[in-house]
Amino acid sequence: EDAAEESNVSAELIALRKRLVDEWNAWRALCKKEHAEERGHKHEKVRESEEEKEEIE
Amino acid sequence: MRPILLQGHERSLTQIKFNAEGDLLFSCSKDNIINVWYSHNGERLGTYEGGNGSVWTIDVDSESRFMVSGAADNTMRLWSVQTGKCLYTWEFPTAVKRVAFKDDDSQVVCITEQRMGHQCAIRVFNINREGDGTNQSKEPLYMFNPIGSKATVCAFTPTPNVIITGHESGKVALFNVKTGEEIDNNERAHGDVVTDLQMSKDGTYCITSSKDKSARIHDTKNLMVIKTYTTETPLNSAALAPDRPYVLLGGGQEAMSVTTTSLRQGKFETRFWHKVFEEEVGRVKGHFGPINTIAVHPQGTCYASGGEDGFVRVHHFDDSYLKAKPYGDLEIAD
Repeated sequence: EDAAEESNVSAELIALRKRLVDEWNAWRALCKKEHAEERGHKHEKVRESEEEKEEIE
Repeated sequence: MRPILLQGHERSLTQIKFNAEGDLLFSCSKDNIINVWYSHNGERLGTYEGGNGSVWTIDVDSESRFMVSGAADNTMRLWSVQTGKCLYTWEFPTAVKRVAFKDDDSQVVCITEQRMGHQCAIRVFNINREGDGTNQSKEPLYMFNPIGSKATVCAFTPTPNVIITGHESGKVALFNVKTGEEIDNNERAHGDVVTDLQMSKDGTYCITSSKDKSARIHDTKNLMVIKTYTTETPLNSAALAPDRPYVLLGGGQEAMSVTTTSLRQGKFETRFWHKVFEEEVGRVKGHFGPINTIAVHPQGTCYASGGEDGFVRVHHFDDSYLKAKPYGDLEIAD
């Protein structure tokens, strides 16, 4: 009975850890996506301003 | 995991930093000196001398060309990493408590202390990388006084002109350095002084430590608390282990309140916590006083701790540590 209880606990723990890792990975993926978009946006801005300069010239 | 003991400071360590490659370790101390060491064998490569007060803080640029320091003699100094020469000295009305480079090396942010009628101030300086580095502008690009509790730690975030700060009250905040405006804050991030703040590789999150005995991971965009690590001792430093799911925490009770036996035995420990599960996974003993500062090698192959005891200890991880998956095969994003 004890052994069965123990294995239940560890199954719960494994499920909890799986959930924590999934949540962490989902948050990291979102951060990385936003970070990449911001960087891309920054580069676009730089390109735009370069183009503007060229037009002025 | 055999430690290398770095003996070269006569007083307590205040901050240690690896360079971007991780071959060099910089350390600063209350003995007014900054040292640089080879991280693989602990040999001292050089000393940066010339300051007249406790050196509170240092940072190194990504090319290992310039190092910046802040000290109790009210100066911030720019040093040549290679020659050990002081290239430029900025003077302030009060002590410099924290300095940090921007990730593109173009700017430095610094915090000066609130004292003798002077408010706590945050300044951003442009770093002129042309020539030999001696031609720097005396005046800051931006300067402001953070409202409310004084700032203790700071770093640039990936968002242009936005820095993240930790405060004496336990607050963590985002400031626009151009306007001095507090963009966002978490007044209850910690219950006591924020003692350290270290950024993740991409700057999208950071870890803070506090005298409230806890360390926390924050999203640097919205200040959301992602993880909390609660210990039973006041913390002075917290570091992230790159590519491994661990955080390293260091601190300890002040010497006054510690029994002499624990002082003799070198019982002050660096605590390893699982970053995602918020569970302690191990401790490394060794220091004879509280741990003031921890840094992890940028490739995660070793870590170093600096103590109130005046020692720096470098620990190279065994293969077993690098391969270990203590909680199974779950892939954890860095």
